[in-house]
Amino acid sequence: MLKAIVIDDELYAREELNELLVETEQVQVIEQCSNAIEGLKAINSLKPDVVFLDIHMPQITGLDLLSMLDPDTMPKVVFVTAYDEYAVKAFEDNAFDYLLKPVESGRLLKTLKRVNAEKLEQPNYEPITANKLELIPCSGFNRILLLAPNEIEIAMSEQTGVHLLTDKDKFTASLSLKVLEEKTDLIRCHRQYLINPTCIREIKLLDNGSADIVTKSNHHAPVSRRYLKVIKDRFGLM
Amino acid sequence: MEITLLLLQQLSVYLVIIYLLSKTPLFMPLIFISGRNSHRIACYVLFSSFCILGTYFSLSIENALANTRAIGAVMGGLLGGPVVGLAVGLTGGLHRYSMGGFTDVACMLSTTSEGLIGGLLHLYYLRRGQIEKIFRPMKALTITLFAEVLQMVIILIVAKPFDQAWLLVQSIALPMIIANSLGAALFMSIIQDKKAIFEKNYNAFSNKALRIAQRAVGVFRHGFDAQSCQKIAGIIHEETGVGAVSITDREKILAFIGIGDDHHVCGRMISSDYTLKAIETGEMTYADGYATAYQCSIHEGCKLGSVLVVPLLQADGQVFGTVKLYEPKQKLFSTLNRSLGEGLAKLISNQILLGRYIQQKNLLNQSEIRLLQAQVNPHFLFNTLNTISAVTRKDPKKARELIQHLSQFFRSNLKQDIEQVTIKEELAHVHAYLEIELARFADRLSVTENIADELLSLKVPTFTLQPLIENAIKHGTSTLIGKGKLEINGYLMDKDKDTLVVLEVIDNAGHYKEPSNAKGLGLQIVDKRIKNQYGQHYGLTMTCESDVYTKATILIPLPKQQDVLC
Repeated sequence: MLKAIVIDDELYAREELNELLVETEQVQVIEQCSNAIEGLKAINSLKPDVVFLDIHMPQITGLDLLSMLDPDTMPKVVFVTAYDEYAVKAFEDNAFDYLLKPVESGRLLKTLKRVNAEKLEQPNYEPITANKLELIPCSGFNRILLLAPNEIEIAMSEQTGVHLLTDKDKFTASLSLKVLEEKTDLIRCHRQYLINPTCIREIKLLDNGSADIVTKSNHHAPVSRRYLKVIKDRFGLM
Repeated sequence: MEITLLLLQQLSVYLVIIYLLSKTPLFMPLIFISGRNSHRIACYVLFSSFCILGTYFSLSIENALANTRAIGAVMGGLLGGPVVGLAVGLTGGLHRYSMGGFTDVACMLSTTSEGLIGGLLHLYYLRRGQIEKIFRPMKALTITLFAEVLQMVIILIVAKPFDQAWLLVQSIALPMIIANSLGAALFMSIIQDKKAIFEKNYNAFSNKALRIAQRAVGVFRHGFDAQSCQKIAGIIHEETGVGAVSITDREKILAFIGIGDDHHVCGRMISSDYTLKAIETGEMTYADGYATAYQCSIHEGCKLGSVLVVPLLQADGQVFGTVKLYEPKQKLFSTLNRSLGEGLAKLISNQILLGRYIQQKNLLNQSEIRLLQAQVNPHFLFNTLNTISAVTRKDPKKARELIQHLSQFFRSNLKQDIEQVTIKEELAHVHAYLEIELARFADRLSVTENIADELLSLKVPTFTLQPLIENAIKHGTSTLIGKGKLEINGYLMDKDKDTLVVLEVIDNAGHYKEPSNAKGLGLQIVDKRIKNQYGQHYGLTMTCESDVYTKATILIPLPKQQDVLC
């Protein structure tokens, strides 16, 4: 049985796909999500085999979500769309799996067969995903928040997850540090830290060859020896 | 008595010359009185010549001259005004003076004063606003008579010796007074005739042109095609009375009416060199059948003997067709019809361009509605089908209802030709749409509607509300992760003595952006159609507080009571 997550903003669409998947008796739907932010969290925490992903969703589209997934832990993705000429063409061109709504059960079986056969192969989604993220979904206390990357001063990975510091607040992001490094302008300064180069106020060089960064809002981030050179290079401080 | 007859003979020759001159364009300035300097100069030159002519046509009597010089001087003053009169009189007088004799000074003085007298009469009528009166021959006769009497008096006073002057006046007074008065009257009569003929032609011309213009209005509303051309050709044929009238486009004959219509058949390709030349050069071509040979290019035995081809020009100067007027072989082309032909082509060009403009405007309106309808986005359609597909599983009854709503939505979308609907009908369309969207976004959309009952029977342009609601869902509530709320309001509002109908669609997303290019075309069309119909003060305005709300407000005037009842 494949473990699957269905992500679609329309209730009936989720239910319909769920029913169809159950009927195939090859899939166990372990979660249904009504938006990409919930979906991202669910994917990261539940590690499904396959995700049925609607393209058109509020705020963060299916394709945005795809850009936020860590390629290392990426599940198989089957795109679902009602109508999107450009996306469908891109799927065709890159031989990605996709389904058209209303979903036909015969087509669904074919798709599942392919998913099973190519379970280990990971397609390269770069042609259809954005290079840079425009919004970073975060969950705060009882709310969902979308942060623009330039608002972030420091991103850090801790036991409890990836945390983002802005000038005033602290949020928990649903993205890995690696994705943030690749898809935003944040730069790595430590194995567990990313720093927004436009927010650096001070770099205090320490005796042991490492350093400490102070941001405009007085947050601190450590700089390991390994990354200090990179940062110095970047600012021309050789 | 003998002198009188002799002088009258001279006068005859003088008048014949005037009559001949009246046939030339030289005479044109005399027909109309205008204060322009060109007119004054023309009068001066012409009448000075007549003055001098009058001196030459004189009889030598007792070392003096019996003459018709006064005619030129008085007429010059009459038609040209006091300044011209004085100048003409002085010129004539100086010329007379140069010829010598014992009355030379007297004649110079009297001729000058005669010109002035004519001019003063001119001024008198001008001041009284009765300038047309100077064209009356009797006036010319009277004033010349008076001027001649004055001349005799001047001769008696100035010429020395008095005895000789007295003898002279005794013999020439009567002949000169008669000849000059009569001559002036006849001269004026010739001018008057010329003027009458000109005005008659002019009137006939304007009447014809006006009648054709009047009858041609609106004929080209449906375009420049064979049918409308046939109609116009008929009108021109009737009104001008030419032998035949034809209208062509750049390639073929669109209409032909009149002599030769047996072989000049509509739809035939243009073969006449004159027409081809007119199309190529954009200039009028004319073959009178005499100086320029004309032979019908279609049929040898064609009775048509002359043709005028006038190109039809677009605003940019491109030729898009021609109008052709023909006369049969035994008839001459009247100048009237020739000049009329030119004007007609202009008139027809304008009518056609106007027709095209109106046509395109209508097309635009229609295509805009079609565009709105075509904007039923496929996304909406397939998502709806998906929703129905899901609902069918659990609630077949609800699925059936959704299919009904979808049908109704499409049905009202297909009502292409209706320009106006009542708000009630528009709301029905909206409801069909909303029922589907409410099912689709099940848990994520709620709608409140508050439309005042008195609005329901009012008419609005079709597709006024629905695009706003579609927009509010597509770019508003559906982009929210949380719950979308939609509010539809309709009420009456008093503003500056007028009562306005206000329709509002409000969403709680606040994601409205100023449309760029083709985006937001739906809303632009809604606005434009309302403005077209009710004026610039009305239409659609969008207000938005980012992330809080977007409000679309439509303002239209409340129709007058009788309109509501209709």
